[in-house]
Amino acid sequence: MMQWVLFVPELFYILMAAVFFCASLSRRQQPSRLYIWALTISAVGVVVTVLSARQEGMLFFDAYRVDLYSQLFKLLIAMGTFWVVFSCSELKGVSERQHAEFYFFLSVCTLAMMMLVSSVELLTIYVAIELSSYSLYLLVPMRQRADEYAETGIKYFMIGVTASAFMLFGISLLYGVVQNTYVTEVIRILPTVIHEPAAVVGLILALSGFFFKQALFPFHIWAPDVYQGAANQVTTYIGTASKMAAAAMVIRFVGFSNEASELFVQLLVVLSILSMTFGNLVAIIQKDLKRLLAYSSIAHAGYMMIGILSMTQRGYASAIYYAIAYLVMTYSCFMVIMRVAEDGHNLQIKELAGLHKRSPLLAMTLMLGLFGLAGIPPTVGFTGKFLVFAAALEKGYLALVIIGMVNATISLYYYLIVIKAAYLLEPVHPYPPVPVDSWTRTMSIALVILMVYLGVFPDQFVALTEAAARSLY
Amino acid sequence: MNSLNVYLTIGAALFSIGLLGVLQRRNLIGMLIAVELMLNGANVNFMAFNRFLAPDPTVGQIITLFVMGLAAAEAAIGLSIILALFRRLHSINIERAQQLRG
Repeated sequence: MMQWVLFVPELFYILMAAVFFCASLSRRQQPSRLYIWALTISAVGVVVTVLSARQEGMLFFDAYRVDLYSQLFKLLIAMGTFWVVFSCSELKGVSERQHAEFYFFLSVCTLAMMMLVSSVELLTIYVAIELSSYSLYLLVPMRQRADEYAETGIKYFMIGVTASAFMLFGISLLYGVVQNTYVTEVIRILPTVIHEPAAVVGLILALSGFFFKQALFPFHIWAPDVYQGAANQVTTYIGTASKMAAAAMVIRFVGFSNEASELFVQLLVVLSILSMTFGNLVAIIQKDLKRLLAYSSIAHAGYMMIGILSMTQRGYASAIYYAIAYLVMTYSCFMVIMRVAEDGHNLQIKELAGLHKRSPLLAMTLMLGLFGLAGIPPTVGFTGKFLVFAAALEKGYLALVIIGMVNATISLYYYLIVIKAAYLLEPVHPYPPVPVDSWTRTMSIALVILMVYLGVFPDQFVALTEAAARSLY
Repeated sequence: MNSLNVYLTIGAALFSIGLLGVLQRRNLIGMLIAVELMLNGANVNFMAFNRFLAPDPTVGQIITLFVMGLAAAEAAIGLSIILALFRRLHSINIERAQQLRG
């Protein structure tokens, strides 16, 4: 039996990490050459992940499951990584000596998140999530000439390790209640013992590690500072690829309780409402575009939670669809940020003034991305929100859906401020034109088409997410 | 004294002391040590459940060994970040690193 074929995407990213590890050892490094290498390898990585999308099987003493669910999320992570590498052509935020290390940590983190979405054993999950966090802890402080953001790295590290300690404590309680570390056993036994306090507390604490990665309400404190303080490319990576892995694991862990505990569901409802409301209200006053997107990501973690806490197959499918939509929309916004702030500084909203003249295509990509985040048809964001709310209504969470819709309306306000800056405001003093090469142009057009197509013809993709949700258990 | 509850209490106490330390300490090295305490609280839990409840008496021990290894890696990364911060700010006191407000 050729078992190793199942592991090909991960092996490929191990190879990528090895290549850049060797590159980081050499004394002379040419950033442009490294960029070409990284771009090629990560593009091949996407192809490899697509080719292995239909594989199924178990590996490593059943601790590692390859199925449609994990392969779909691996594809999303690989896409996110490729997109981030794609926009590294002007990696001005990181010193030239560290470019090879930057790509190295990027590939290790991608590898770890791919292992995370596939692992179905508690220790494996813990090791995988720690590996991905450690790479991110080192990527965040890599920004050069950023004395005013010096504390970002240590803040992210301290909050991250505390959240992971919570998670480990939760896992230890789960282990005590279930006396087994395999996810299949946990799903089988946990609903029968969920009335024990240790089970609920363990599950909530174990989830907190993923809530931290997803920036859900009580674990969101790091998000604005890290988004603002990390280099633009790193922020993009944290905001897109890393969110996918977190969403995948939250879906898997919430399914553990199998609706047996009323208290657990109510807690998730409260977290979702607080996350949406807090994120949207605080985003209104932001001046820095990356900070604004950080608060919007907190709000979106709340929307995604609405689908997850329905705990039906349709709910999980809608959350997966929402994750796909979120990846595309957020990346569109970040790509525009990275292009407009070519030298790697933090983009203020007012610097977008007159963008529609300086670069109409980028302005349109930004507009569609923000419309998507706000949930305006016919973009993909509308369809995502619609599916999530429909799944919650089916379970009778009417109040939750109404709060979600009110929040979507509030969020429209600050997204429109950004669009207004790009389209209506005249710049106070002339900004230089934004150089757009043909690759970026192709990527923008592809993103625009993707956002509209996913929104107007979601049928195939919804069927795909439903199949993925079915393979979850 | 030889019961599960005693060990669970010790584990929870270690975890709480660690959490208190993270929240209250102003020295970065102190915070790092406090996080190690939290991890060790979880380790005590694993060993206790392993000793008194689990049918297979190796799983908890293996998890504890893994966690010790990961904690060492975590300390290395934390110290390297603290060192980089020290070069910029000439202090490892967290009060000095407060320019961004979350």
